Amino acid sequence: MRLTAYTVLIVLLQSLAYQTHAQGLVDGFMRGQRKASLAVIGSQDTYDSYYVGKTEIRNPNIGTVTTQALTLVGTYGLGYDLDLIVAVPYIRTEASAGYSPKQEGFQDISAALRWEAYDYKFGKLRVSWQFALGYSVPLQNYVNDALVAIGRGSRNFDARTLLHFKTGKFFLTGQYGYIRRGQVTLDHVVNTYDPGQVNPASGSTVNSPDVTDMSIRTGIITKPFAADVWIQRQTPYNEGTDIGPGIPFPTNAVGFTRAGASAYLRLIGKLGLTGGYSVTLDGRNIGKFTRITGGLVVGL
Amino acid sequence: MKKSFLSIGLSVVLLWMAGCKEPTIDEGILPFVEPATVDPDGGTWRTIVLKSAADITVPQPTAATSDTYQKELTDIKNGLLSISPEQNTAVNYWADGGVRRWNQIARQLVAKYNVVPDYLTNPNIGSPSDPANPMASPSFAARVYALLSVAQYDALVVAWRAKYQYNRPALERQGVIGRVPIADVPSYPSEDAAIAETSYQILAYLFPNEAGWLKAKATEHKQSRLWAGASVPSDLKAGEDLASIVATTVLDRARSDRFATAHDPTNSWQTALASAPFDVKWKSLDSPVRAPMLPLGGRVKTWYDSTALAKLAPAAPPATTSTEFQKALGEVRDMASARTRDQWSSSSFWDDGIATYMLAGHWNVIAQDLIRDARQNELRSARTYALMNRAMQDGSTASWATMYRYFVPRPSQVDPTIKTSVAIPNYPGYPSDHAPISTAAGTILAYLFPDQASSLNAQATEAALSRLYGGIQYRFDVDEGTKLGTAIGNVAVTTAKVDGAK
Repeated sequence: MRLTAYTVLIVLLQSLAYQTHAQGLVDGFMRGQRKASLAVIGSQDTYDSYYVGKTEIRNPNIGTVTTQALTLVGTYGLGYDLDLIVAVPYIRTEASAGYSPKQEGFQDISAALRWEAYDYKFGKLRVSWQFALGYSVPLQNYVNDALVAIGRGSRNFDARTLLHFKTGKFFLTGQYGYIRRGQVTLDHVVNTYDPGQVNPASGSTVNSPDVTDMSIRTGIITKPFAADVWIQRQTPYNEGTDIGPGIPFPTNAVGFTRAGASAYLRLIGKLGLTGGYSVTLDGRNIGKFTRITGGLVVGL
Repeated sequence: MKKSFLSIGLSVVLLWMAGCKEPTIDEGILPFVEPATVDPDGGTWRTIVLKSAADITVPQPTAATSDTYQKELTDIKNGLLSISPEQNTAVNYWADGGVRRWNQIARQLVAKYNVVPDYLTNPNIGSPSDPANPMASPSFAARVYALLSVAQYDALVVAWRAKYQYNRPALERQGVIGRVPIADVPSYPSEDAAIAETSYQILAYLFPNEAGWLKAKATEHKQSRLWAGASVPSDLKAGEDLASIVATTVLDRARSDRFATAHDPTNSWQTALASAPFDVKWKSLDSPVRAPMLPLGGRVKTWYDSTALAKLAPAAPPATTSTEFQKALGEVRDMASARTRDQWSSSSFWDDGIATYMLAGHWNVIAQDLIRDARQNELRSARTYALMNRAMQDGSTASWATMYRYFVPRPSQVDPTIKTSVAIPNYPGYPSDHAPISTAAGTILAYLFPDQASSLNAQATEAALSRLYGGIQYRFDVDEGTKLGTAIGNVAVTTAKVDGAK
């Protein structure tokens, strides 16, 4: 049973580029050949504490950081087993205390191709095995080396595999991916003392640690309605730095475990509403944020 | 079938990616440079802390024809054939230039110690003024570089004097084929041993916790010259001995330069703040609030003529009620609310804040490249650094003196809507300390490297203005600081003109 393109949970379709927006561009549902959908998703994250390494702290020089994003996501079925997904977020982020300036602008454009390699049926259970390859690149030279920033400025290559089970209304999707983060050029020469030589540079180019990404999502899905819960864990793969005075932010090893729920409701025809809520359970060099999302999805 | 191949292929891609290592970023291998001049008159150049090079007597070496010396020479020749790869690495490392290498080491240590106590993760942390664990601040950094290069320079003048007094021929003139390019100067006493020993002693005084590591570096430096075929052990010994005396003299000055009390152990700054002749009082914008950095930093002994420097002190800044001040504040506000990406980038590039080698270190990097390009020999390199680093420390000291006279608040204190692209330094703002440090360095370097004058002046101007772009300094801070720096730079130029070097 192949699902129609738009009764799906596009709430997750946000940029894979920025860690706080890297929930995964890809879900388990194929769009179907020549079917397209477009979604406009708004989200708001807030945090008043963040992880320095794995230690949670509050910083009176920052206060509460609020990040709003408006993301345009388009999906298109290139073939019955091949989807193209593109996302562009516009982000604004601001701290409530201290003297860090607000940052605002287009972040990274990301695109992914997803291929359904196998599709089995065992009675009522349907299993699909998929692969996805994605790439993201900053749309502009935004400020990347600040706690309050819209992104980290790296070009990322994302490869993942998904296993998707569905029986009747219930589904379960597991995915595992590797995100390769490219090098980042800072505004200044890196000369922080670094015995571990994570930044063995005398120039201004630094490595941004790669991450692995795992998530499990389960819920129910029907034509007019869908709801699910999910958990996602991102783990730094390479050695990285911890947030610290003078340490370039792009070299930090970023990880998190987050959980959330989302829902989709069809309004009329091919127009639907989507919404979600998620929290950070633990993290590493990232804000402990909660996020609410809401958006409109239209099938084309 | 096609499908299986493709999915296997994609799985392999995934596994391969997961097995990737981050690329290594390295500085590349720089070519060795042979000095452009040997400066045979170097021994007559004016010393800085020593009264003259003649203060230190370097003992006469054994004659080149003596058996003792001939045996040393033979050992070096034979030793060259059995150099281990590690020894070869050390030879190449130090062949880049001892003065430059020790300057890099000093910068690395400044960056290491340039940390603020982490109040966020450890609120009960103590005072940062523990002498065994110094906190590197802009003034501290400028003093490190100045003391190091002054000691190196004085030691090298003494060494040069003895070299051309005794004229023990360079080893390459006696049939030794060096592993790296070696300056064609008389080999006794070894300039490398002089640099290594002074640098080790000065830096070990400034960073006592690093003494062991520094000692190992110094030993490696000296030994590397034997492995390179540049010196014999008696050359090293003589260089080391004269350097010890120079280091002791320079350390005497360091102990009495009043830096030890610059952090104001009695908190006298509070009285000074209360009676400061400015209408709004500076306060710390840090949270939690901290005492300002080195309140008595302006009393540190200067390198150049202190009376002349005192006359350069900037006049009183415009009161906050004046139109002039309001106009300046408005400029910062406008700049901060419409900061361009380039202005952000410039402020970040010149920030040289916490955990870096600081602004003075940044200028040492600029000088390093100029020195390398000009192929300056060790003596001349040390002179360049010493002239510049003294000017920068004096620039820092002079700005500190005025800062803690007027206690002018930073723009964000007067108008909290002003957001900054760099951290707000925890000390008063008038004049900008970036401006005098950069302008003084730019002025003296432009004199020493006239071909680069326009680029150096442009860099100094950008460094000074970057603080306005950052939103942490008014234009009058920058202008007054630039005036101060130019004047100090000119004092350095006057000194350079009469120190004997051509």
